[in-house]
Amino acid sequence: MADTPRIDLLDPADVARLGGIEIVAEGVVEGFLAGIHRSPFRGFSVEFTEHRAYQPGDELRYLDWRILARADRLFVKQFEEETNLRAMILMDASRSMAWRGAPARLTKRAYADRLVAALALILLRQRDATGLITFDEAVREVVPARVRAGQWARLVRGLERTPDGRGTAAVAALRHLTSLLARRGLVVLVSDLLFDRDLALTALRYLRHRGHQVIVLHLMDPAEAELSGPPEVRFQDPESAASVVVRPRELARAYGETVRREIAAWRTMCRRHGIAYHHVLTDLPFGMALRLLA
Amino acid sequence: MTFLHPLALLGLAAAAIPALLHLLERRIPPEAEFPPLRYLSEAERQSARRLKLRHLLLLLLRTALIALIALAAARPLVPAPAPMGRAGVHPRTALVVILDNSVSSGVVVDGRPVLDRLRAAARSSLAAAAASDRLWLVLADGIARAGTREALLTTVDSAGVSTRRLDLTAAVRDAARLVNAEPLEAREVHVMSDLQRTALGPGRAGVTRGIRVLVLAAGSRVPANRGVGSARVSDGAVAASVVGTPGAGAVAVTLRVRGREVGRALAAPGSAVSITLPRVAPGWWVGEATLDPDELRADDRRVFAWRVAPPARATASSGAGPFVAAALAVLEQGQRVRRGADVVIGDRLEGGAAVSVVVPPADAALIGQVNRALAARGARWRLGVAGTPGSIAASSVAGIDGIQVARRYRLDAMGEAGSEKGEDSTVLARVNGEPWLARDAGVLLLGSRLDTAWTALPAAPAFVPFVDALVNRLARGEAPVSEVEGAPGVEFRRRGADTVGAIVSGPDPRESDLTPALPAVVRDVLGGDIVDAAALAARRFAGAGHSDASGPLLVLALLLAAAELGVATLTR
Repeated sequence: MADTPRIDLLDPADVARLGGIEIVAEGVVEGFLAGIHRSPFRGFSVEFTEHRAYQPGDELRYLDWRILARADRLFVKQFEEETNLRAMILMDASRSMAWRGAPARLTKRAYADRLVAALALILLRQRDATGLITFDEAVREVVPARVRAGQWARLVRGLERTPDGRGTAAVAALRHLTSLLARRGLVVLVSDLLFDRDLALTALRYLRHRGHQVIVLHLMDPAEAELSGPPEVRFQDPESAASVVVRPRELARAYGETVRREIAAWRTMCRRHGIAYHHVLTDLPFGMALRLLA
Repeated sequence: MTFLHPLALLGLAAAAIPALLHLLERRIPPEAEFPPLRYLSEAERQSARRLKLRHLLLLLLRTALIALIALAAARPLVPAPAPMGRAGVHPRTALVVILDNSVSSGVVVDGRPVLDRLRAAARSSLAAAAASDRLWLVLADGIARAGTREALLTTVDSAGVSTRRLDLTAAVRDAARLVNAEPLEAREVHVMSDLQRTALGPGRAGVTRGIRVLVLAAGSRVPANRGVGSARVSDGAVAASVVGTPGAGAVAVTLRVRGREVGRALAAPGSAVSITLPRVAPGWWVGEATLDPDELRADDRRVFAWRVAPPARATASSGAGPFVAAALAVLEQGQRVRRGADVVIGDRLEGGAAVSVVVPPADAALIGQVNRALAARGARWRLGVAGTPGSIAASSVAGIDGIQVARRYRLDAMGEAGSEKGEDSTVLARVNGEPWLARDAGVLLLGSRLDTAWTALPAAPAFVPFVDALVNRLARGEAPVSEVEGAPGVEFRRRGADTVGAIVSGPDPRESDLTPALPAVVRDVLGGDIVDAAALAARRFAGAGHSDASGPLLVLALLLAAAELGVATLTR
């Protein structure tokens, strides 16, 4: 096992070439769970459900000592969910998400698809009810949170059915989907956050006010973090068609400072309102991105 | 400011390259999608002022850098005091120094000849020249002497007062052409002259652009001067004219012949006196008219020469026509001619005459007969075919220039007969460039009859003097007493043992008027600036005492390059 590379720690673009969303997500989750010593998310209950063979990394407190004494075999006890955690993943499918800074990298949308699938798989394996809402200028796909068998496949199909970037990520859509989240639970927003920060925070604060636990995954292509390019270039916003002519070399420092200031602002504002914020570059291995959520 | 390599200034156009590149670069930038445009706009908004300032600063620095390099390549010369012991640097210069050592430069002012002051100025200009300069020196003879600085300085030092007059206008014109033909960075003409107004010739020097003419200012004090302008003998008297500074008082003109005073009269500049000569024996005589010495000695004496001879014994045959006969009668009455057969004027050769003056016969059928007689006499000239009408041009016979000739025969030369025998064979007058009056072997041959149907000469006032010269002088083979410019003196012309003429030399009378030309006239005619000695020293060689500024410019360019590098990297 030690000789087998953990794909959750490989380059996301390389991992994506292994197959579709499901295969990649399963591989990532397997690797991720194999490398972690305790379950990453809350939700383990005290009501026993079944045994499974011990795996390195499992906590010894869940070891069934009686079976060990009787049959000299290592089994751990698994428990039924008791907290009824409902996780809803909100994924931004706007046009800006379909961008990548280099052909060798995944688009933000492709990265988000795989990350969301892996996250959903982890949650479902913990028997947390998990749902999915995709949106751009409107809500595109809604998969209600369930824990039943086949839920993950539905979630993956929901991802696949959502088309690539039709428009901008509208705050109105964000507000609308808050009304779809009637029961309290975990809300994970996966987006490049290229919309008005104050209005988006208003929506997220509303969720928080409704008792949701909110996590924001801020996706960013490395090329968005550091400005580069030809000596002079006309940059166009794919969503608004606005454009600006710049000289990347002379604006790089100011741009980098602006991006860092923006991230810091998001982080500060989220912390102030009890919202977990994580900045994720699309060349970050999936396993490390999932680790941020643990 | 002047430049050693002015063509390099064309490189200044390259200073526009940064601005052009800036414009061209901005024209069609490539397009690319970039979602976080809001961050970009924000960054640009915050950096706009800084970037604008940076762009402007870089543009200025790069433009200035290229301009400085182009300027440095042109090797600019800026005024600077020359360090002790070192000559100032100046652009390679083609220089003509005109040292007007004409007669008038010998005038003594404040105990020193004006020439001393002019020579010092010329010496100063030449001494300031560099080895790379092209130098000429022009003296009063008008000859441009090319040479090294040392050679020309030696010439200047040895130049004395000349007996010649210098036409400053022509000298400056020629000098300007000379330096203009030199492919050097600078071209200058320095004029060292007393600037007397009569030194300025007709017209303007017409100095082309790019040639600096620096004229040394005339001296502040100009003495009044008087000189003998001319002295000529006519009808036993000497007519002497006095020239000089207008308004100068009268002066005594003393006449001497062979050292003995023969007459004296008072005359003011612009007037003439006539002094009767004593009767002397036949032959050539030399005399002189002198004035009392003044500041300019060279024009105080003028020599004259004349010939005393008995009147010619002349007669006119019937074929000569009535006008000749009438003229001879007048001359006989004035005792200029006596009746005799030494000189016979007619339309055929007279056997007994010592000299025959032959006019074409009225009957064209007799031309052949006349030509045969000429051939038999050994004369070189023949009557040829009819020539075209025209006007007379004669240098040795006064007064007949320009008189029209309606009919004439061409005079054809046959071989070298006369000259081979050592006799005179001369064309004395021409019409349309062809011989009209010729002398050879004791024969004077005219191309036209002396009749108003052939020429206007018989009706002109000059006809009687012409016939007088014909029988008294030309028939004897004499040349007129001619005057040339030079030191006062006489040179006799001889043919064999006979004296046949005289050349009297003396200074040009215009040299006696020392009145300086008005500065405005000098500037207008010579096209130059009038400067004193100090200003000349400061302004010559485009202002010698310059230093090459290319070094400091390159250092400045280096500093600008460093600044550009700093701005380009640190303000990114």
